[in-house]
Parts: sequence; C-alpha cells; structure tokens
Amino acid sequence: MTHPFQSFSILVPQRNLLLGVGFSLMLTACGPSSSTGQKLTLTGSSTVAPLIGEIAKRYEAEHPGVRIDVQTGGSSRGLADASQGLADIGMISRGLKAEEEGEFQGFVIAKDGIGLIVHADNPVEAISDRQVVEIYKGEVDAWQAIGGTDAPITVVNKAEGRSTLELFLKYFELENSEVQADVVIGDNQQGIKTVAGNPDALGYVSIGAAEYDIAQGSPIKLLPVDSVAATTETVQDGSFPLSRPLTLVVTEPPTGLTQDFINFAQSEQVHDIVRAQNFVPVSGSLARVQPEPATTAN
Amino acid sequence: MQTSSSNSTSNGPRPDWPAIAIWTIATLITATFCCILLDILWHGLGQLSWEFLTTAPANAGRDGGINSILVSTGLILLVCLSVAIPLGVGTAIFLAEFARGNPRFSRWVRRSLDILAGVPSIVFGLFGYAFFVQRLGLGFSILSGGLTLACMVLPILIRAAEEGFRAVPDGYRLGAASLGLSRWGTLRQVLLPSAMPGLVVGLVLGIGRAMAETAALIFTSGYVDRMPGSVWDSGRSLSIHIFDLSMNVPGGEQQAYGSALVLILLLIVINSFASWIAQRYRLGQQGR
Repeated sequence: MTHPFQSFSILVPQRNLLLGVGFSLMLTACGPSSSTGQKLTLTGSSTVAPLIGEIAKRYEAEHPGVRIDVQTGGSSRGLADASQGLADIGMISRGLKAEEEGEFQGFVIAKDGIGLIVHADNPVEAISDRQVVEIYKGEVDAWQAIGGTDAPITVVNKAEGRSTLELFLKYFELENSEVQADVVIGDNQQGIKTVAGNPDALGYVSIGAAEYDIAQGSPIKLLPVDSVAATTETVQDGSFPLSRPLTLVVTEPPTGLTQDFINFAQSEQVHDIVRAQNFVPVSGSLARVQPEPATTAN
Repeated sequence: MQTSSSNSTSNGPRPDWPAIAIWTIATLITATFCCILLDILWHGLGQLSWEFLTTAPANAGRDGGINSILVSTGLILLVCLSVAIPLGVGTAIFLAEFARGNPRFSRWVRRSLDILAGVPSIVFGLFGYAFFVQRLGLGFSILSGGLTLACMVLPILIRAAEEGFRAVPDGYRLGAASLGLSRWGTLRQVLLPSAMPGLVVGLVLGIGRAMAETAALIFTSGYVDRMPGSVWDSGRSLSIHIFDLSMNVPGGEQQAYGSALVLILLLIVINSFASWIAQRYRLGQQGR
C-alpha cells in the first residue's frame, strides 16, 4: 500500500509537519498558500464578516494574485487578533472606544442601526426609553403596564461580548448585570426567530436584518426609538439615535495592500454590496475616523 | 387503582405497562428524528441540484452553491481521520491487549479519555486556536481544523475500538498462541478482523461528531468560503456554513436547509460505506 499522503498531492505539505512541529513557523512560510501572492487576513465581528467577505471577493476579482481571508468570531476577537498580529485587519461592529484609540486606528465602512423588535401581533406601537430600561431591569414585567395585552414580557438580551449588547447598554445606560433576561441570544437571526416565535417577546437586532426579514414575511415589527422611526433611512441621515458604525481596525498606519483594501472597502464601488447586505453605506466625509467622545465611552 | 385492577384481573390479559412505556419512548424519539428529517427534506429538497453541489457560494452564501464548502469539509475530515485512526486504533490496542499488566496506568488513561470525551467542543476549539493556530503557527487552516477535530474525536474512537478488542473472546488469543502465531500475526489475522465492528462503531461516531462540529472549527479552520488550494488554506466546513447562513445571514435560510440536507446525506453515505467496508473486510478474512 502506498503512503496515504502520496496519493493526495494536495496533502503533501503535511508531510513536512512530521519533520517536527518546532519548525512549523518556518514551514508556514514554505506552504504553497504564501508563495502564490499577497495575502490579507481579517477577523472579527460576525455582523461585519459576511459584508467584508463579499467586498473581499470583488477585490480579489479585480486584483488577481491577492487573497483575502475573512474569519469571524466577534468584535472582541477582531481586536485581539489584530493586536496579536494574527490578523492584518480587525472587524468590529461599533466605533473604537476612547481607551482603544491609542492602540488601534479605525475606518468606518458602513453603518447599522439597532432597533427594538416585537411580534407583529403585539398591539404596542412605541416604548419610551424609560420603559425599555424598566423592562430590561425587570421592574416592569407585564405588557399591560405599557398598554399591551395581559401577558408577561419575555425579555430577549444579547450574549456577552456582542457589540450590539454594548451599544444597547450604553444607549440605555444599563449594566449587563442589571438586565433580567429571559432569553439570551447570539446573532441577529436568532433574535428575530425568537421574537417571531413568541408574541410576548421584546428584543433588539440590526435594523437591516429586521427590515429584510419583515419584507420576507417574518411576523415582527420595529418600534421607534426616542420617537424616531427605525429605518435604514433614519440610520443613514444620522437621526436614528441607536446606530453603530461597522469599523475596520488596524494597529499600525495602513500601507500597501492593507491600505488599498481599506480604501476599496470605503469607496463607492462597494455601496451596492453594502446595501445588498442590509447595511447603510456611509458617504465620504462620514467614512473618516470619528473617535467617539470620551464622555460616552464609559 | 392499578394494584386493585391487577389483583382482580390476574387471570385475564393485563396491559404490559413497562413494554408500553418503552414503546412510547422509542416512538417519541424516532418521531422527533423523523420530524427534523422531514423538515429538512421538505425545505432542502428544492435546493438540491447538481448545480448546487458544483458552483461556488455567492452573495454571502445566499446564492450559488457549496462546492468549495464540500471540498473543505472533505479535506478537514481527511486530515482528522488520517491522524485519529492510527493514533486511536494504536491506543485501543495498547489498552486492550498490552496494558493488562499495568491496570493502574490504563485506568488513568481511560479516565482521562472519558473526561476528554465529555469536554464541550468550544473548549477544543479554543485549545486548537491557542495551540495549532497560534503556538504551532499553522494559522487558520484546514490543517489546524482537522487536527483539532482529531483531538476531539480520539476519545470516542479509542473507547469504542477498545470495547471492540475486549469483546474478542480470550479463546481466540489462546488459540492463536497455541498455533504459534506471533503477537503481530495474532493482531493482524485474528484480533483486528474480530474487533472490526467496534472499530467501525467508533469511526462512525467519530465521523458524525466531526462532520457536525461547528464550535471547534470556527476558530481553527475558519470561515473562508473560497475553494481551498491546500490544507494550509482556511476553509469553511458544511456545519459552519449552515450555522452562518441560518444565524448570521438574513435570507440565507433556504440555502442553509439545502446544505443541511447535503450534510445528512453525506453522513448516511459515509456511515453505510464504513459498515460495508467492515463487512467486506470480515468476509474477506473469513474466506481465507
């Protein structure tokens, strides 16, 4: 019998591994992937990853020989990987915090609004900011108290480490430890499915994702925040208060391929992709780095 | 009520409650599985086509097919099995055949394997991320993913294979020894063929766990849906593709159903193939 690896030329580099894992760093450099051309690795937010994945495909198509690997795992991982050099660019679905400004440089590529969602059958048409705080703190736990049906409120919260959670908590000036959640979810789609399947649920998800699912017939509706309707239009014109920038972060001033890709991701050439992924494109002036004021960072 | 009725009707046929309970439970479990399967079949069958299997994913997976995902999944599984099978079978042989004189050591090995088998997959994922991706510098690659999966599958594989070797009656070993067969000869001619059912069970369980794995792969083999050029490239597995489409991509649901159907069909095909190989192997050995 032949050696199992010999029959798969694709696996040949693995034989090098047997020479000793101590040389693996060197071996990575010998791997066929790095010899084919320039490579860029991005990791981070699961909200940004599908968008950047599509932008990367278009960039690759226009620049033969360049490979852009997009990984996911959350904004925290994006910052950690960029900081450790595991990724060339990190992706976060928020702006940089004041304390992160020193280490990272951010480039906004699109905007996303976060909207409160309830089931379509829920008679409640608006919830004030104060009521949201009271509901998430567990002080109000019946829809009746805010003009709804005689049913308990199922509070849907996001899992720790999600930037949607951070933005939500920051806007409503809540601490995560204060939140009395009935359901804890990870991604937007999970939040939409939870609320669509429970007439008494209250949750918050990306407006782009919610608008798409409403158009597809999902039985949910978006509630206004601070009397501003939750639509992609209000996110774009900046009037919607609960919105977040989707940001690419780097540790050093970008050069070469990194810089070229960031420029491409911010350019009008990709606005159709941004819209197709249910996000809101930012115009040239907005795309420049805008540090968040230090007062709101904590 | 029950006791009085059983006393009064001791002659007539009385309901066999334990049997009914067991049948109900078995029916419920099968029904749950069938529900899931029917749901996936119902939604996924429309997606399934030759084109779906042979085109590249587009628009974040909403359009196009899953060709690169299939190749990545196959490569991850190949790396995983080519590491796990020799190590797993070797350890099982050691535990069942060679470690009899050292029960304390083999007890420790077994206990650590049982603990490893119960470790949540995300822990393996973070281990793989810290060890293979960062420490060994393999980066986000199919190699990192396959090796992480191998670590995860090994305990299951070893324990099932070990049971297979233990199930071989001692008479076989004595008979082989009395015929003057060497230890290697006994292993190859007698023990391996007889233990084959156990090995296949371990393999099928291991492949099942590996194919279904998401958490251990998202940090190791990664998220890239490009066609992999080698095992050094990052590649998205079917399970991660399904997870991403259903949880992270609005409008990815139909494609997720299609991919889930492909995953289930693949598992059925691989499992039947493994049993078929084992049967052939056993028949071949007996025919000599």
